Amino acid sequence: MTLWFVFALMTVAAIFAVLWPLSRSRPAGTGGSEVVVYRDQLAEIDRDMASGIIAAPEAEAARIEISRRLLAAADQSESEGPAKGNLKLRRMAATLALVGLPAIAASFYLTLGSPRLGDFPLAERSRVVDANQPLADLVAQVEAHLEKSPTDGRGWAVLAPVLSRLGRYDDAVRAYRNAITYAGDSADRRADLGEALMGTAGGVVTADAKAEFERAVAQAADNAKANYFLGLAAEQDGRKADAAAIWQGMLAKAPADAPWRPLVQAALVRVGGVAAPALPDGAVAAAKDMSETDRNSMIRGMVDRLATRLKQNGDDVEGWLRLVRAYLVMGERDKAISAQADARQAVAKDAERLRQLNEGLKNLGLDG
Amino acid sequence: MIAESGHYALVLALGLALIQSTVPLLGARWRDVALMNVARSTALAQLLFVAASFAALVTLHVTSDFSVVNVYENSHSLKPMIYKITGVWGNHEGSMLLWVSILALFGGLVAAFGNNLPLSLRAHVLAVQAWIASAFYLFILITSNPFLRIANPPIEGRDLNPVLQDIGLAVHPPMLYLGYVGFSISFSFAVAALLEGRIDAAWARWVRPWILMAWIFLTLGIAMGSYWAYYELGWGGWWFWDPVENASLMPWLAGTALLHSALVMEKRNALKVWTILLSILTFSLSLLGTFLVRSGVLTSVHAFATDPRRGVFILLILFIFIGGSFSLYAWRAPSLKQGGLFAPISREGALVLNNLLLTTACATVFIGTLYPLALEVLTGEKISVGAPFFNFTFAPLFVPLLLAVPFGPLLAWKRGDLLGAAQRLTVAGIVSLVVIALVWAWTYGGATLAPLAIGLAVFVIAGALCDLAERVGLFRIPLSISLRRARGLPRATWGTVFAHAGLGVALIGIVCETTWNSEYIGEMKANDVAAVASYQLRLDGLTQRQGPNFREMVAQFTVSRDGEKVALMTPSKRNFTTRGASTTEAALLTRGASQLYISLGDTAADGSIAVRIYHKPLVLLIWWGPVLMAFGGLLSLSDRRLRVGAPKPAKAAARALQAAE
Amino acid sequence: MTRKQRRLTLIGCALAVLGIAAGLVLNALRDSIVFFSTPSMVAEKHLGPGTRFRLGGLVKPGSVKRGDNLAVTFTVADGSATLPVAFKGILPDLFREGQGVVAEGMLDPSGVFRADTVLAKHDERYMPKDVADALKKQGHWKDDYAAKPSASAAPTQGAMR
Repeated sequence: MTLWFVFALMTVAAIFAVLWPLSRSRPAGTGGSEVVVYRDQLAEIDRDMASGIIAAPEAEAARIEISRRLLAAADQSESEGPAKGNLKLRRMAATLALVGLPAIAASFYLTLGSPRLGDFPLAERSRVVDANQPLADLVAQVEAHLEKSPTDGRGWAVLAPVLSRLGRYDDAVRAYRNAITYAGDSADRRADLGEALMGTAGGVVTADAKAEFERAVAQAADNAKANYFLGLAAEQDGRKADAAAIWQGMLAKAPADAPWRPLVQAALVRVGGVAAPALPDGAVAAAKDMSETDRNSMIRGMVDRLATRLKQNGDDVEGWLRLVRAYLVMGERDKAISAQADARQAVAKDAERLRQLNEGLKNLGLDG
Repeated sequence: MIAESGHYALVLALGLALIQSTVPLLGARWRDVALMNVARSTALAQLLFVAASFAALVTLHVTSDFSVVNVYENSHSLKPMIYKITGVWGNHEGSMLLWVSILALFGGLVAAFGNNLPLSLRAHVLAVQAWIASAFYLFILITSNPFLRIANPPIEGRDLNPVLQDIGLAVHPPMLYLGYVGFSISFSFAVAALLEGRIDAAWARWVRPWILMAWIFLTLGIAMGSYWAYYELGWGGWWFWDPVENASLMPWLAGTALLHSALVMEKRNALKVWTILLSILTFSLSLLGTFLVRSGVLTSVHAFATDPRRGVFILLILFIFIGGSFSLYAWRAPSLKQGGLFAPISREGALVLNNLLLTTACATVFIGTLYPLALEVLTGEKISVGAPFFNFTFAPLFVPLLLAVPFGPLLAWKRGDLLGAAQRLTVAGIVSLVVIALVWAWTYGGATLAPLAIGLAVFVIAGALCDLAERVGLFRIPLSISLRRARGLPRATWGTVFAHAGLGVALIGIVCETTWNSEYIGEMKANDVAAVASYQLRLDGLTQRQGPNFREMVAQFTVSRDGEKVALMTPSKRNFTTRGASTTEAALLTRGASQLYISLGDTAADGSIAVRIYHKPLVLLIWWGPVLMAFGGLLSLSDRRLRVGAPKPAKAAARALQAAE
Repeated sequence: MTRKQRRLTLIGCALAVLGIAAGLVLNALRDSIVFFSTPSMVAEKHLGPGTRFRLGGLVKPGSVKRGDNLAVTFTVADGSATLPVAFKGILPDLFREGQGVVAEGMLDPSGVFRADTVLAKHDERYMPKDVADALKKQGHWKDDYAAKPSASAAPTQGAMR
């Protein structure tokens, strides 16, 4: 409703602008005229002569010319006669403003405008959409608390998974380590720590992460998460058979209703190992579906994280090569080339690293 | 609500403009004061509504309201605030809204400060102004509406062309538009005079400040645009004879001619019909410039619009206004009264020569710009007319113009004394000859034309100073009286001196930059040293940096001269993630009026980087010149006194006249 | 001097200046205009070495090779024909494989186009007009402008305030 009210107000203001001069019976200001200009020019000649800019004969000639123009102008304004009022025309103009203006405005606006759409400024929208906002506040509170009492193991244990979910992997790693130190070691925490480490590496199972998973498995041999990621590590190293063996082992030992079953089966399909035959066809199909859509977005997320990390710290030749390879696999040659250029700049100062990089790039079939 | 209110305000402005374009004319016809005064109140109200509309669009960009198509397509939430604001007119729709806002601003200014105008003239002028405004409101609402909405707004915008994310963009188009659109006032005055069938010296007196204002803005706008291209495009060039640049140069040339012919008209009541024609021509060229840039017939970095519908609409506006005003001119001009007489050798004669050369130069630019387009339309053959064409045609026309510049102000009105003027310019001539000799000796074996061109520039500057010295009687009468006279000189005279000297200053810059520019292009690794002019530049290394919406690679150079460190320079290359585009940020080091210029190229396999280094001697003079000219214009504009061109009486000038004939 | 004589003097001067200008323009038009060509037009017209022209087309993906000291070679294609281009210098920011490009220069006797300027004044949304036109004629260019979201006045729930 407010909108229409504002429109009405604006329309009234516009109409008023037309009606106002019409309504005044004795209009202010009848305007200037040429006569004024020429009179000023005559005065100017006298001033110029007094200050010595022009000489007397020139001034005289100029005066004659201007006087002639002055007379002509005076004649002109006399012959035109005084201004008249024309009531009929004024009424017509007023009608035009009162009817025509709203009609034009309405016909244009109603065809072009979207009066039912409100504003969507970004600030307002993110307040509605971004459900993470209260979470972030909460995290800040917990962090402030832990700053004061850094030995609160339970606090760290609560905070760590939240940080992980917010994508703050570096902080999550620190939090998990503190949790392990102050709240006790456990297979789950080791596995979570490994996952967070993967997060910092952009989804790659680094040597550090692998060590954590191995520690987790050492504590509890059937820790699902650790086992799954060890399989992934094998897959990333190119040892597909090992990966398949690990995952098949998991499936064999797992209860039939384990929530992670479809994920592992999907992974197994990916590396070419056969999924457990005991399952109905539907589940396999579901897993396949997932492997198409979810996997793509997962990989993309990993690659993006890797790229971000390399931007911050570009010394990692292996990382760069992995990034370039990932882009090539995803069919994004443009990005691969730009990553390659970035890589060269990043390691340009270090001859040894540069050599490694160029060699690696050559192996990837990208050179020059 | 902001978006819709802005949209509605624009529609109301159209309604007001339609009323403003008819009612005051009826009032003038029937001599009804109240009806004529409608022009004034509607012009002010129109300004109010368009300003509200523009403010609404700015607000939408600032708050990143992506439910507005224009904001979604040209903005991004991560963009720095300043570019969110400048992005408003960095795109087609927004820039057209700026265009009409400025049009309304000028209309409002005439309405507010035009109290000294006769009522019927003011009514006519504002009505014509409203015709133009109505046409462009319709254009915006129908073909380029900035307030169209998206029902389901996307989360993120598509960003602005990274090349346009620059502070140069913040000021350069608005300045240019103030110039372009400012000439609409002189156009409206000219059409009003034709409609009224009456024109005299007073008319020129009233219109001249508006011409001057538009000319100042256009001068500054062109200079800024040129400087922007110089440092943003990374090629070190400052004028490319690009059609878009030509589109702004043509109104400038015609406008400069208009400025001078209006002077003759104000002071001597002569050249009236010609001045009217120039007024129409200048604004027609401004419209043509708008068409060329906005329709997308040209494709260059400036032309962001690629919708043929728009082109056809602007072309229609162009035909109606240019065709209409020229027809009106052909019909009414013969009935206008003839003006004052003057001898060929006189101030008027000199100004006619100025007009002749300027309009001819303008015509050659016109041909060079439109010939390829016309040829393509007619035969389908594609050609490009590049810098050589303009250098061959433009320069020969400007040389006599520049030679004549110092003579003009020294000639008397009505009948002048060429020999006397030449005598008074002896000092300037000697100074320029000495400079030619010095420059030639210093650069012995180098370019032959350059010393001559510099001599010409010095002649223009010294000539302007000679004029000044002549007026205050320097060295002929005691210094104290001279000083008093200098204070008493009309500011318009000072304005002439500055503007003419500015021309010479710019010419020096142009000649030095094009002749003695030295460059280095090559690949550099860390710790490599390049020698350019008398400087040594060492590449210290490359670093990566993250900007608000881009990532940049910064190279650091240590500049030294004779083993002494002078400065650090950090050119960079920016990568804009959203558009996947990159820009080159050149680094500039100013030393006096000269500059060192570094821009980066690609990185090679061995980690080295392609680098372009220029040393540009006195390059800044190219832009100081126009600034001086604009300052001169400003001085002239601030002169509230009425100038009279006192004619030289026949008796005293008889001898001179004989000599001239 | 009578009024008529004065007028004649003025008109005479004007005609002289215009005549000179016309001469300059015609002369410059003969000498300094450059024609535009695509690789297939080059093949059709048998343009010989030594003629200056502008070459437009798409940079063939994978064809860009960088040599020593800023030398670059790449191939310009327009769908039916290709032409090798050699250039020495810094390529513009927007130069990319698969994108439109305009190069100015001339053919050398071995059939390689020696470019002295390379322009790529466009963003990813459009290409140089000459190139777009030429490619459109051959049907190699699809307008991606359809992707532009169309504004609609459809009401959104909860949007009214």
